[in-house]
Amino acid sequence: MDFVQNFPAISILLCLFAGIISSGLKGKVAKHVNTVLILIVTVLSASTLLYVLDTGEAFVYVMGKFPAPWGNEIRAGVLEAFMALFFCIIMLLSMFGGRKKLVDEVEESKTFLYYVLTNLLLSSLLALVYTNDLFTAYVFVEINTIAACGLIMIRQNGRTIEAAARYMIMSLLGSGLLLMGICMLYDLTGHLLMSNIKEQVALIAASGEYRIPLLVTIALMSIGLSIKSALFPFHAWLPDAYGYSTVSSAAILSSLVSKGYIFLLIKIIYRVIGFDIFGASKIINVLFIFGLMGMIFGSLSAIKENDIRRMIAFSSVAQIGYIYMGIGMGTQAGMAASVFHILSHAATKSLLFIAAIGLTDVSAGSRKFIDLTGAAYRNKWAGVAFTVGSLSMVGVPLFSGFISKLLFAQAAVQVNGKMLPALIVLGISTVLNAIYFMKTVIRIYTPVEEDRHSSVTFKDMRLYAVTLVCFIVLNVVLGVSSQPIVDLIGQGLAMFS
Amino acid sequence: MYYMILAILFPILAGTYLLVRKEMKNRRNLLITVGAALIITTALVAAALCFSGNGMLTLFSLTDKLPIIFKVDEISVIFSVMTVIIFVCAGFFSFEYMKHEEKEKRYYGFYMIVFGILIALCFAGNLITFYLFFEMLTLSSMPLVLHNGSREAILAGLKYLFYSLCGAYMALFGLYFIERYGNTLTFSPGGVISAAAAAEHGGILLGVAMAMLLGFGVKAGMFPMHAWLPTAHPVAPAPASAVLSAVIVKAGILAIVRVVYYIFGASFLRGTWVQTAWMVLALITVFMGSMLAYREPVLKKRLAYSTVSQLSYILFGLAVMDTGSVTGSLLHVLSHGFIKSALFLCAGAIIYMTGKTRVEELRGIGKEMPLLMWCYTIVSLGLIGIPPTGGFVSKWYLAEGALSSGIPVFDWLGPVILLVSALLTAGYLLPVTIQGFFPGADYDYRTFQKKEPSWFMTIPVLILTVLSVFIGLFPNGLVNYLMQIIEKIV
Repeated sequence: MDFVQNFPAISILLCLFAGIISSGLKGKVAKHVNTVLILIVTVLSASTLLYVLDTGEAFVYVMGKFPAPWGNEIRAGVLEAFMALFFCIIMLLSMFGGRKKLVDEVEESKTFLYYVLTNLLLSSLLALVYTNDLFTAYVFVEINTIAACGLIMIRQNGRTIEAAARYMIMSLLGSGLLLMGICMLYDLTGHLLMSNIKEQVALIAASGEYRIPLLVTIALMSIGLSIKSALFPFHAWLPDAYGYSTVSSAAILSSLVSKGYIFLLIKIIYRVIGFDIFGASKIINVLFIFGLMGMIFGSLSAIKENDIRRMIAFSSVAQIGYIYMGIGMGTQAGMAASVFHILSHAATKSLLFIAAIGLTDVSAGSRKFIDLTGAAYRNKWAGVAFTVGSLSMVGVPLFSGFISKLLFAQAAVQVNGKMLPALIVLGISTVLNAIYFMKTVIRIYTPVEEDRHSSVTFKDMRLYAVTLVCFIVLNVVLGVSSQPIVDLIGQGLAMFS
Repeated sequence: MYYMILAILFPILAGTYLLVRKEMKNRRNLLITVGAALIITTALVAAALCFSGNGMLTLFSLTDKLPIIFKVDEISVIFSVMTVIIFVCAGFFSFEYMKHEEKEKRYYGFYMIVFGILIALCFAGNLITFYLFFEMLTLSSMPLVLHNGSREAILAGLKYLFYSLCGAYMALFGLYFIERYGNTLTFSPGGVISAAAAAEHGGILLGVAMAMLLGFGVKAGMFPMHAWLPTAHPVAPAPASAVLSAVIVKAGILAIVRVVYYIFGASFLRGTWVQTAWMVLALITVFMGSMLAYREPVLKKRLAYSTVSQLSYILFGLAVMDTGSVTGSLLHVLSHGFIKSALFLCAGAIIYMTGKTRVEELRGIGKEMPLLMWCYTIVSLGLIGIPPTGGFVSKWYLAEGALSSGIPVFDWLGPVILLVSALLTAGYLLPVTIQGFFPGADYDYRTFQKKEPSWFMTIPVLILTVLSVFIGLFPNGLVNYLMQIIEKIV
């Protein structure tokens, strides 16, 4: 066994340990521990990715001494390693982007807790990405929920506590459904390891027995995970949770936490249920329709919103809708488009959240549009970054959003029944996106007579500005040279089955 | 070949530089920078046109199948020459005009960026490149529309954005299908749809063609998606209205030329319901635009409605798909470009010198600024289509092409509507001249004073006027040149 094969397990354990150690450290030290940790995990994930690309096949790593049907396993293929790497990069940039603001947002005595939670969140994300065991996945889903709740609540004011409570209730409902699904699956197949379940599910499906229980299982798991990732009718918790938490939390929650659940769903589709069996069930159409509705209603809510942070949060609902639409198409191309959109949305949404905080900070902390007039002149970097993020969301060529739109459309053209609804809703959603994002861009670039607010320069916010530039570069790279990444996703999806 | 990239990138970079640099203390320095940038761009475009030959330049690839390609062909030559002439003229006109507007630096910044993007559209070698710059054109020309930052301007800008994005998405919708059913997205004379694909997916491809026509038609102000144009064009500063109305809308025409003659191919669309629907829409727009212009009291708005009508002359010619009519269309692209920019610059000069915007206020204006009003009159005659101006030649070819096309009903209906619309054109343009030069007996000559604007304003208008007459006097060379292309594509 090559040494590199230990890396996924090491990175998960490292995060857990860092979380434990940080709980005894001062805030400042914990901050550095967190940064170093994310950097190490980034390197480890990158080397895992290179290793898997080199060998050309996924590897299975046995945790402990028990062999396959009983023990616990980790599995790393191209897509897993790539996701882990990408999540680390976004996490690092989001932490950097909100670092300065954190001082205002979190009491100093509680700063270390913030880093404890972040470390735990990273560990659970990595575990969701790598695990080959359905029950381990469930355990880390719970850890993820608790950590996310903490991240929302750590900024202590009434709104966040309410938001966290709502998030907790909805999220636990989702976890409960997922757990029921897992139980039923265990009942049906007698296994918890993904590969073993898949073999049994294929046999069950072929024999034609247990048709209803299997359908119910699929439904429970899909709906459970879509509640947790804020698919349209289950999105009520989202705007408050993203809108009032600290800026790093908002960026991480929107671009990583929900994406971790979606990635788990994709894994379940491919590695537990089997792509064809999932595709043959009616549940896929439900996801498709919810996705389409989310694309429209998310944008409509965003248009009505008068608060920039909540507007961006509602836009997430629309973007999650895109991802579920791709999954709901039931083709490889649709799935690849969804995975690409996970990347592109993660890169864009965290950029928008972080740019928005720069704009509100120079408008006396107000998030109302009327006060944001001319904010882009007071904080030039944030203004440019927000514009880039908006253009990417609208889907202007050269930015990542266009490529996702293109991939979705190319996938849609190949699916006969779903082609027209998908294309039409894509069109409507594009225009709706443009309305509220361009409205904001025009607003922040409308000059005001006599500026009451102070403006900031590069010197006041070096780390912040550099983070924004990194995000912009990431966006443009995804938009301009997408082909290698799309190939990588295709390779990774092929390795799944 | 690399001149193509330079000609595109230089104005865009120059514009970006103007946008990001600090406010210049001296207005002179700003003007020198802009003037130099305009002249250098002209030189670069000239070099690109002369030295590019037939080479294709692949810049990079968005995905494997979607490369960004630039190529110069005859259509590029016509459109880019027109773009350069009008942009330089309107640019120098702005030097004087923009004195009384604020935020000059931002205006020139976006002006240069739009210039570069239009050049890129002319040179685009495939549909995806075209689409890319088409979206950018919308976004970068929007600041010109909402320049003065008033509520009216911002609403107009948003309306413009909304319509344009709807249109662009319809075009993108078509692009997805062409990528699937056509072999390539590269523009090639005669189209890229193979006979097999046309036979198998004919129905859906026709639907796609219609969607793309409507989508790109938004930029060209074609009914039913024309409503943004009369709102958005007049609120911009006059030189910006001139380029919006004379050049930027031509990007929509260019798009339709490319899609119809270089992607679908005239033979695929000829005789189909798409052609019929397109002709109907174009004729409705011709008539409706003229009628609305006739009733409009504000001069700049009147000119914007006139643009709606005149652009559909071009679209009608393209829709007939006959050698003569397409020649007429391409000629009208040039003459309408020169004429409409001259008209908007005249309107701008009137506003600048007198502050008057409504037609009935302009009594005696010909006495106050005779040179400018002479230019106005001459180009108006051109737009109506009276020889020896450029408009006459283009409309002659348009009508002749329609008559000889042999399409039932439209071969006579088209010319009739064009003629009626020409009468209306006379009706809405000439009152300014008539009242301007013959204010009537009760005109009070005591208040009269000379108000001729400075040379920065008159010379660009003079140049555009002379060019529009020149096309009318010596059209043969141009027509022969156009014939070469048109024989390949029709």
